[in-house]
This record gives sequence, structure tokens and C-alpha cells, in this order.
Amino acid sequence: MPAPVLEVEGLHKHFGGVAAVDGVSLSLAAGRIYGLIGPNGSGKTTLFNCVTGLERRNAGRVLLNGERIDGLPPWRIALKGIGRTFQIIRVFPELTALENLLVVTRGHLEEARARALELLRFVRLEALQDEYAGNLSYGQQKLVEFARMLMRDPTLVLLDEPAAGVNRTLLNDLLEAVRQLRERGKTVLLVEHDMKVVMGLCETVFVLDHGEKIAEGPPGAIQADERVIEAYFGR
Amino acid sequence: MLLAALAVYPALGTGYGVRAMLQIFMWIALAGSWNLISGLTGYVSFGHVAFFGAGAYTGAILVAKADWPWLAAALAGGVGACAVALVIGYPCLRLKGPYFAIAMLGLNEVLRALVSYFEGLTGGGSGLSLPTLHATVPIYYAMAATAGGVTLLTYAIITSRFGLRLMTIREDELAAEAMGIDTARHKLYAFLLSAVGPGIAGALAARDQGYIEPVSVFPLATTITMIVMVLFGGKGTVWGPVLGAVALFVAQEFVWARFPYVHQLLFGAIIVAVVLLMPRGVLGILQIRYRLPRTI
Repeated sequence: MPAPVLEVEGLHKHFGGVAAVDGVSLSLAAGRIYGLIGPNGSGKTTLFNCVTGLERRNAGRVLLNGERIDGLPPWRIALKGIGRTFQIIRVFPELTALENLLVVTRGHLEEARARALELLRFVRLEALQDEYAGNLSYGQQKLVEFARMLMRDPTLVLLDEPAAGVNRTLLNDLLEAVRQLRERGKTVLLVEHDMKVVMGLCETVFVLDHGEKIAEGPPGAIQADERVIEAYFGR
Repeated sequence: MLLAALAVYPALGTGYGVRAMLQIFMWIALAGSWNLISGLTGYVSFGHVAFFGAGAYTGAILVAKADWPWLAAALAGGVGACAVALVIGYPCLRLKGPYFAIAMLGLNEVLRALVSYFEGLTGGGSGLSLPTLHATVPIYYAMAATAGGVTLLTYAIITSRFGLRLMTIREDELAAEAMGIDTARHKLYAFLLSAVGPGIAGALAARDQGYIEPVSVFPLATTITMIVMVLFGGKGTVWGPVLGAVALFVAQEFVWARFPYVHQLLFGAIIVAVVLLMPRGVLGILQIRYRLPRTI
């Protein structure tokens, strides 16, 4: 069995007296799609933020390809190969779609431009490349964010509710794009409330409740798990 | 054409005209520099005149106490301001929004207190006199070069990926970090670059006036004027600060001459009108409406 791409060990994060993430451990293998589900406030986004360095964890370790990344500033973690999208879209509104992608690159400008245009074609936004991102529709901004995340060719992709607020056609495009990522050997971890998306896409699902991991397994087993049903619907 | 006209102007213009042009160049350099940090990264500096003052004192001390030629002293003024920016930029740029603005305001007060305190070097509250020198025309060219340099630098930055990265700090600093942009380093670079122009301009102004005192080189009003010029012209653009500096300086001189008491009222009215009606400034509005590049 190959070494895991991402390992989270005993991660703790509390805000004041509230434990948002309370001793969570996960292990992600290369080339697979994982789901992270749980009721609102169960700590999914906080876990993402701790892994990407946007929040400082209070305890625990995070390893990317066997190397510790907890405690590093977010930009270093990003350079090490973690890309992410946000639950609430965070494009750069007064930069054009093309600039949104170009800005995260270094090195040869023409190569970067070629790659940005290729990715904009991939998400079918090439016609809008010179439009300010803030003028694009919600779904288009989501695609810009997705393409921007891919610009650095990350090994691990964290998607925070990719399906939220997206129409069916666009959703199918996005899901297809995620499958393509896996085919190219990327590891994907996605937070999602749409169970159809989670069940159709993910090989392994983690369930969080009140900051603790209460279940882990293939989607079918998770759906039948009593603790999961209890967390969502109560006793 | 314009450059040629500006180059021969000192030979043809009146003494008052040359002096007024020199002031316009100074304002272009100041407004353009403020635009580099605040217009691009969104970190509003409320004490940018501190770099003007730091440059003025660096230049004046070197001329008065060490007999440096004024041009070398002016460049040293830029270096001195840059050094101040390096020392305070590192801690201050970690502060966000209003806290950074207030910290910069504080910096200005601290510098003013410091130059007042070290009387031996700075003359303290009674000021520092420079040896007499009639060099208004050469200083005119030096100030013009400073204004041109700041504007050219702005163009080079705005058309580069470095400039785009600065703008991501303004747009969404957290997202920029998550995308692998070292925002702290970029902010510091922008801050250092934004201190050079005011430092040189301060040293040149000190040489031109022949006398400086703490109150005259660290006035809050100067910071406010550069902010209003940039907001009026269009922040984050190349020519916005130039337009703002020329338009507001001309308006101020014109009104100043005719209505000595009304001008401050009018200036205040312009600030309110700009912030309420066109927060993007003249060029910002044109840029959005006609889809123009930021290089306007």
C-alpha cells in the first residue's frame, strides 16, 4: 500500500470554549475521491482551514506526502501542492478571469498564459477571459475558482461544497472535471451536502459531527450507519 | 510634445509658474506613491507624509551638516525613507484595515516627536536652515524626474504579475494566501517602493525651501491631500494619481487665490463628493464603463 497523500492526526481546533474540530484523524490515499460530510457546524470547513493553514490548529499533526505541513503559512502549504476552493466563492473580482488564473503563477509568462487559456477552455470560459471576474455569474465564478485552483497543478484538491448553487448542466461539468482529476492521479477531498453527488463520486466518506469523526467507509455503508442517521435526523 | 513643453518651461515661464509646476510634480510623486501601496494592495496609509518628512530631514541634515550636494542628498532622502519603511513595515503590515491606517498615523507623530527631540542634529522645534542656494530650475527638473519615475514605476508594476499579486491582496488577501501568494512579502515590497518617491520629493522640497521644521514636513493635511488626489483621479490606475494631483492642485491654487477662506470648505466638499458619488474616481469610472485597461 502506497504512503498516504494526506494524513491528519488528532487535529484539534477550538474557538473560545467551543471545540470546532475535536481530535480528528484522516488518511487519504493517492488517486481517490473522498467525501467529508456532516451536519452544519460539524467542523468540515474548519478542518479544511486547518489543513490549508488558514486557521492555526491547537493540537495535532498534518502531513502531506509524509512531510509535516502544520504550522506553515498558507502560501507555503499551497506551494507544496494543496489547492482549494471556498464554500463562499473567493475569486478576485476586479481581476479578469484570465488574470485570476495568471496571478497564481510564477516563471515563464507565456507558458503560464498558455496553461491559463487551456484551463479556461477546460471550464468553457475562454470567451469570457477578459471579463472582470466580479461581473461573471455565480456559476461562472465557481468555474474560475476551480480553474484557478488547478493552475499550480496541486496533488491534493480540497473542494468546499462544489455543487452548492450550481445548475444541473454545470454540476455535471464539474463532476466530470473532478473525475478527470482522479484519472490524472490527483487526490480529491470534497465537502458536500448533496448526497447524490457524494454517493455518486466518492469512494470513501468521512462523517463529522460536533467536531468528531463518527464514521468512515464506503458510501453505501455510511448511509446505513446508525450514528450517521442519528447525527442527521436525531434519535 | 508635453515632455518637450515641460522641459523648456523654466526658460519661458515666470518664477511663480515654475514654482507652481514644481509643486505639481511633487504632488504627482506623492499621490503616485500612495497609490502604489494603498491603491494596489488596499492597505490605506494614513501617515504617508512620514516618508516625505523622513526624506526631508535626511536630505537637509546631509546638506547642512555634511555638505552633500543636493542631488545626492535627495537620493539619500529616498534611501532614508525606505529604511524607515523597512523598520516599521514589517510589524505594521500585519495589521489589517483601520488598524494599519491608525498605526501609520502614529508613525508620523512619532517621527515628528523624534526630530523635535534630537535638537543637536535636527535643530528641534526651531527648525533647520540650509545654506542659501539658487537652484529652483535644476530642482524643477529633479522633481519632474521623480514624478515621471513614480509614474513609470506604477506602469511597470500594474502591467506585471507582481502588480496583479498586489491587487489580490486588495481583492481577497486570504484567498491570495491560499493560492500560494506570499502576501506579507508582497505588501512589504509595495510599501518600500511607495516610500522612495516621497523620500526624494521631501529632500528636494527641503532643499528648495531652504528651511524645514517638524510641523512643516509632517503635516497630516499632506497625507489627506495625496489620498484625495488618488481617490479623485482613480486608485489602482497609472494616470489617476497624475490627473488627481494636477486637477486638485490647480483647483486649490485657483480657489486659494480668490477665496482664501472657502478653499478648505471646498476641499472638504470634494472629499465627501468623491467618496459618496464616485469612490472609484474619474478614471476608475471610465475604466469600468468603457472597459479600459488599468494602464489608463
